[in-house]
Amino acid sequence: MLENIALIREVQESLSTSKAQELALQYLKRVRLEKIALLRVSSCSKIEIFYTLLIRALMTKKATIIIVTPFTLMPNLRAINVIIEDIQLLTQDKKIIILDNTTNQTHYKGCSCNITK
Amino acid sequence: MIMKFIEGVGEKTLNALFSIYEALKFSFICIVHMLQPQSYNPAMRMVLTKQIYFTAVTVIPTFIMMAVIFGSVIIGVVIALATEYSLQDQIGSIIITFVINEFAPFFTALLISLRSGTAINTEIAVMNVNRELNTLKEYDINIIDYLFLPRIISGIISVVSLSILFALIMLGSGYIFTLFYMNMDFHTYKYLLVSAIEVKDIVVLLLKSIAFGFVTMLIPIYSGLKTAKAYTAIPISVLNGMVKLFIAIFFIEVLSLVLQLI
Repeated sequence: MLENIALIREVQESLSTSKAQELALQYLKRVRLEKIALLRVSSCSKIEIFYTLLIRALMTKKATIIIVTPFTLMPNLRAINVIIEDIQLLTQDKKIIILDNTTNQTHYKGCSCNITK
Repeated sequence: MIMKFIEGVGEKTLNALFSIYEALKFSFICIVHMLQPQSYNPAMRMVLTKQIYFTAVTVIPTFIMMAVIFGSVIIGVVIALATEYSLQDQIGSIIITFVINEFAPFFTALLISLRSGTAINTEIAVMNVNRELNTLKEYDINIIDYLFLPRIISGIISVVSLSILFALIMLGSGYIFTLFYMNMDFHTYKYLLVSAIEVKDIVVLLLKSIAFGFVTMLIPIYSGLKTAKAYTAIPISVLNGMVKLFIAIFFIEVLSLVLQLI
C-alpha cells in the first residue's frame, strides 16, 4: 500500500521513492494504519483500502476530494463520524465532499459537517 | 457472390493495414517517450529496476541450464557436420556466424517471449479490464512512462545481456566439441574465433537483440491494451498477442538474414 500511495508524489513531483514512501507512512500512522504499509490489496480490509484510496487522493494537488457513497465502500461502517475524525487528522487544507443517497442519512446523525440535501 | 468475396478481402486488408498503422504509431510514441528525460521519474526507475530483475535476473539459472543443454547439442551438431563435409578450416567463421549472428539472439528472444511476453500481455490485459489504467490516468500518471517504458527498456536490456550470455555459453560448449571431434587445443580454438569474428558480427548481435527485446515487450503491451473490457477477452488477447509476437520475431530474423546477404 505504501508504494501505491507514494507513486503519486513520485510521478507528479519527482519526489525520490524513499521520501515519497516516508511521507506515505506518516499519513498511514496518523490513522493508525502503519501495519498495512507493506501489505497488498488482497490482504487489506475494506476500511484499510478506503483509507489508502483517501490518502492517495490527498497526495494529489487537487483542492477538492469527493468521496462517493462511503457506506457502499465500507459495508461494516455504522457512523460517518469515525471517518470524519480521521479525515481531520489527515488534512486541514483540502475540501472534502461526501456524496451519498438519502437512504443512508441515518448514518450522518450528529455529524459535525455541513449537510446539503 | 464474387463481390462479397472481394468486399471481404478488401475489408480484411483495410483492417490489417489499420492495425499495422496503429501498432507503428504506438511504437513511435513509445520511442519518443524513451528519448525524453522527463519520462525517467523515480517511480518509473523503480519499476524498471524490478522489471530488469524479473525479466533478466530471475531467469538466469534456467537460462544457463537451457543454454548448456540446447546450445551444446546444437553447436555439437554444427561442428560434427562441418567435420563431415571437411570444413574444418572454416570452423571459426561457421561457429561465429551461427552462434553470434543467428542462434543466440533468436533463442533468447523466444525464451523471453514465452516467459515475460505472456506475463506482460496478461498483466496489461487484466489492468485494462479492471480499469486500473483509467485510474492511473485519473491521477495524471502517464501510463506510457510508468507502465510501458520500464517493460520495453527491461526487454531490450534483458534480451541483449542474455543473448551475450547465451553466445558465451555456446562458444564454451563449442570448445568441448572441437576438442572431442578435431582434437583442437584451447589456444587454436581461441585463435580461430578471434580471427573469424568481425565488428559486423557484434553489431548484428546487438541490433538484432535490441529489435527482439523491443518487440518482445511492445507487442504484448499493445495486445493487452486492445483487450475488450471482459475477463473472457484476456485469454484471446494473450493468444493474439503471442501469435503477432512470433510473427514479428520471425520477420526480424528473416529481415536480418536478407540484409546480411545484400
